[in-house]
Amino acid sequence: MTEYQLRIQRYDPEQDDTPRLQRYTVSGDHTTSVLDALLSLQQQQDPTLALRWSCRMAICGSCGVMVNGIPKLGCKTFLRDYNGVIDIAPLAHFAVEKDLIVDMTPFLAHLSAIQPYLINDKDDKAPHKQTPAQLAKYQQFSNCINCGLCYAACPQFGLNPEFLGPAAITLAQRYNLDSRDNGKASRMSQLNGNNGAWGCTFVGSCSEVCPKQLDPAAAVNQAKVESAKDFIINLFKI
Amino acid sequence: MKTPKRSDEPIWWALFSAGGVCFAVLLPALMLVLGILWPLGLVSPPWLSYAGVSALLHTAYGVPALLVTAAVICLPLFHAAHRIHHGLHDLQCGYRQASKLLCYGLALLLSLLALALVLAI
Repeated sequence: MTEYQLRIQRYDPEQDDTPRLQRYTVSGDHTTSVLDALLSLQQQQDPTLALRWSCRMAICGSCGVMVNGIPKLGCKTFLRDYNGVIDIAPLAHFAVEKDLIVDMTPFLAHLSAIQPYLINDKDDKAPHKQTPAQLAKYQQFSNCINCGLCYAACPQFGLNPEFLGPAAITLAQRYNLDSRDNGKASRMSQLNGNNGAWGCTFVGSCSEVCPKQLDPAAAVNQAKVESAKDFIINLFKI
Repeated sequence: MKTPKRSDEPIWWALFSAGGVCFAVLLPALMLVLGILWPLGLVSPPWLSYAGVSALLHTAYGVPALLVTAAVICLPLFHAAHRIHHGLHDLQCGYRQASKLLCYGLALLLSLLALALVLAI
């Protein structure tokens, strides 16, 4: 067992004026994740520590925190990979509700703005078949677990919270590229705005932090190409 | 969520993309030949004399010369202007419309100047 030093940002808006840093020592081995460490702290040392978590296996996307300033899933990040004091803070660019829990409401509003579901006017009961090639077009972008790490990494979302952001634009692409969907026209109006695909300046940090490697930056750039095509087509529609 | 206003960014992004391609493909070769190899005397093609360049400029009513100027000067100018405009936004300097007018305005002005100089020769 090794002793690890953790410095956790604590904040209770009902009691504290400003966030404060609190140091803890936890013991763990080479299999101890950041989430394991936080849960052992909460259970054995400080029951007031608030954090959000659920599956412990990088599927639910709820344990996102900043580890040494980089957005990470607590369950997929291991103490063995860090030296010295490990800084843990709530996800950047979101309002803190308490300690490591952030308010994801703006993120969820952006996701729902792009209508993230199959839109198909055809009223037939037959199954919508898809070839492997049609599936391959969007499959990569369908693995999003809505953890919000890309929003904590995106400097443009940090500057402008109205920016739709990487996950929402990736999700729009995921449905726009789906052969069973014909709702692209209604999604494009969101992507065409300054806060849509054009709010991105291709920093690329979203793709670096994505725990599912689904390359949101590529999806955003594809959305820019689609929006540029839509712009040109619109010039001829009078 | 209400329908947002369509952005005019596709125009600037298209110029930026075209400029980026020209920058990456044409300028390194030009800089190598005109900026390094030629001054060092390692190459001395016959067309790089006043008479040779003048003849090139007037080939086919000067249209190829204008196209080369657009590819080597105008589009890269818009590419650079786009980067500076968004760089200013990242640094939170300059109002969006003001820096846009300044950056793309300057690119347009210098582009027209370059094309006019080619036409004037």
